[in-house]
Amino acid sequence: MLPTLGHVAVVIALAASLFAAGAFAIGGRVGDPRLLASARRAVYASFGLALVASAAMVVSLLGHDFSILYVSRNNATTTPPFFSFISLWAALEGSILFWALLASGWAALLLYRYRSRHRLLMPWVGATLATIDSFFFAVLTWPGNPFVRVTPVAAEGPGPNALLQNHPFMGLHPPLLYLGYTGLAVPFAFAVAALVTGRLDEEWVAVVRRWTMIPWIFLTLGITAGAWWSYEVLGWGGYWAWDPVENAALLPWLTATAFVHSSMVAERRGSLKAWTVSLVIATFVLTLVGTFLTRSGVVASVHSFTQSTIGPWFLAAITLTLTAALSLLAWRLPQLVGSGRPTSLASRESAFLLNNVLFCGLTFAVLFGTLLPLIVGATGGGTISVGAPWFNRVNVPIFGALLFLMGVGPALPWGRASWSSVRERFGLAVLAAVIVVVGAWAAGMHGPAPIGTLGLAVFVGGIMLDEVVRGAGARSRARKEDPATATWRLATRNRRRYGGYLVHTGVLVMAVAVAVSSGLSSQTSATLRPGESVRLAGYQLTYDRLVVEPLAADRRVTEARAELTYSGSQQGALATALRDYPNSTTAIATPSVRTAVGEDLYVTLLAYDVATHAVTVRVFVNPLVIWIWIGGAIVAAGSVFAIWPDRRRQAVEAPLAERPPVRETAASVEGA
Amino acid sequence: MRNLRWLLVPIVVLPLTLLLFHGFGRDPREIPSPLIGKPAPSFSLVTLDGKTMSADQLRGRPYVLNFWASWCIPACVDEHPVLLQAQQRYGDAVKVVGVIYNDSPGAARAFLDRYGDGGWPQLTDEGGRLAIDYGVTGPPESYFVDAAGIVRAKQFGPLTLAAMDQRFSALLAASAER
Repeated sequence: MLPTLGHVAVVIALAASLFAAGAFAIGGRVGDPRLLASARRAVYASFGLALVASAAMVVSLLGHDFSILYVSRNNATTTPPFFSFISLWAALEGSILFWALLASGWAALLLYRYRSRHRLLMPWVGATLATIDSFFFAVLTWPGNPFVRVTPVAAEGPGPNALLQNHPFMGLHPPLLYLGYTGLAVPFAFAVAALVTGRLDEEWVAVVRRWTMIPWIFLTLGITAGAWWSYEVLGWGGYWAWDPVENAALLPWLTATAFVHSSMVAERRGSLKAWTVSLVIATFVLTLVGTFLTRSGVVASVHSFTQSTIGPWFLAAITLTLTAALSLLAWRLPQLVGSGRPTSLASRESAFLLNNVLFCGLTFAVLFGTLLPLIVGATGGGTISVGAPWFNRVNVPIFGALLFLMGVGPALPWGRASWSSVRERFGLAVLAAVIVVVGAWAAGMHGPAPIGTLGLAVFVGGIMLDEVVRGAGARSRARKEDPATATWRLATRNRRRYGGYLVHTGVLVMAVAVAVSSGLSSQTSATLRPGESVRLAGYQLTYDRLVVEPLAADRRVTEARAELTYSGSQQGALATALRDYPNSTTAIATPSVRTAVGEDLYVTLLAYDVATHAVTVRVFVNPLVIWIWIGGAIVAAGSVFAIWPDRRRQAVEAPLAERPPVRETAASVEGA
Repeated sequence: MRNLRWLLVPIVVLPLTLLLFHGFGRDPREIPSPLIGKPAPSFSLVTLDGKTMSADQLRGRPYVLNFWASWCIPACVDEHPVLLQAQQRYGDAVKVVGVIYNDSPGAARAFLDRYGDGGWPQLTDEGGRLAIDYGVTGPPESYFVDAAGIVRAKQFGPLTLAAMDQRFSALLAASAER
């Protein structure tokens, strides 16, 4: 009953989306408001139907209905309800259903919110989004049908993929990531609409930046949560391995970040329009390419999905999307180029331009590294794999240059900078950076990467702090406000600028934490008998006992748990385990991570001997890792601050003629 | 010059499409076996029924070593009916030999009882020695050995009906040549 309901809902949602796409396109051409209204309602309906289908799947998973093939392969009667619920996105077909739910959700939200705004653009935005939704519903109707039945019905299933039921983060990381991925269809739809209607003006840039920022925040949080999950679950002490799945998430993030920066030039100067639109198109296509790579079995990855027949569908979608979008771009290209004025090298425009060059360099390097095994295979070069050392060597210098630019760019004025202003602005920050670098070196910190990153971070942070202090000081003197009020008002009067600074601060925190944790971590492994100890970086770990027993939450799973006590800068007891899942050949590690502000003590069980109770453990002391996650949270908080709607923001969304002229802040006019 | 911009479309779309298209039908985990064209590794192992079987005994007739496990779901479950059919169709000419990969004899027995026992020998590979000799990365994986004891082909992942026909007839042809 439920699977039939789910399948029927998917099929009707496909019909509704197809109708909406056609009705939006025709309604947009002839300007029929009734047709447009019914197209909108069709999109709402397809979202509702996706909700029904997803609910049918979730209820079937919770009820262990093994008559559904998807449930019979990804669930067991002993699977805890939480992991049954999140199995909606734990395997291929379910994840596409979840994807369609989120994609149609974004479309419905956007069309409702802008039902009476952007009248010329919205029909084409709606047509594009409805077409994208149709694609996902079509995949769910034919090659990726999650409601396929199976007979005879088994009494028991294998349970979810063992790695995916070992940590609650599985409930957090994919939804955040998917919200980001699916949301990036919205700026793409606006790009198509702008190219079709030829209305690529400041109004367009403002609405697209906002709707890129929203999914960008989710993507940032999703990537950070994924790294955190990998760190807490996989037991190798790291959080990023340049796996294709990770790269698939990073690629659109890079181009979306480049867009957020280049759009400021497009808005202010009216230049870089073709480039800005290209970035929006590239971002969406890269979400499709990433999905394709991880779901078609074309590239080897730690967690690619099972092989299936949806690969050709995604390839067709990529080809059609790219062809359509690039044809539109080529058609409009003559109108998009050439309104920019020549600018000085030492100006904010140049900094933005360089920023975009670097971000595209990163995108290209990551894409190239991810596809290289495929390229080599296609040209008869045999089987190769591209590993983390290659990605690090290529990308770390670019990240360093971006970090430097992050300090320089915002401090440069639009147009042209004078040398005296550059000296005045950068002097203090350079001095602070030199002092910190020398101090860190004297304090015994080694390695060019950690020290270099720290120096750059102090330089960039110094410039930002200097600017905030000056701006707040000037405001405080002029308006007789106390410093805290002056700072808050300064920031809320120009949310985009100061939100951006907060984002940059988060990036600095992450950069330092990544450089220090990867450059200065220490590790050892030891085989211990009960009572024996191992020492590492000021910690002493004493192995107490081995416990082998079935897991309380799921009796099919056997857990071998080594219990240890530790002392050092943190003290206490910990247990690290290997879990044997019936559907996994290798035991799943359950590392124990003891987190302090300064460092993590990370212990993972490698092997155990039931007869002698000897265990082999690997111990890491990773400095500053928690600051990576905190940095990610600061980035997200800064972005939310930047796009938080206020009176000023409302004005920006109003028609062009009613807008007040955009003024530069006091702080940045000073230097010009 | 003005119309050159239209070249943008094929320049970007074609290489990407062709490259991604090329990836189909390939499994990135599939590593070409260095054993192809070389003598099959020798073994002497005990079957599920308790009999001893060695590579030398199999000489003179082509055989297929099929590495599988009861926990290998769904690939081994999907493959099993194909093997049953292969046994029916080619049973006289080509011998199918199962090798239980990293699994307990009891679980393997239960799998055969549930999905059908074709009656071909099932070797218990204690410690995975034979799997290591063959360089098995994961079940199911099958190796095709001709009558002279030379490894002719490797099937990575489950055999499908089409792959089975193609592999078995190629093996028979190779054996007949000698």
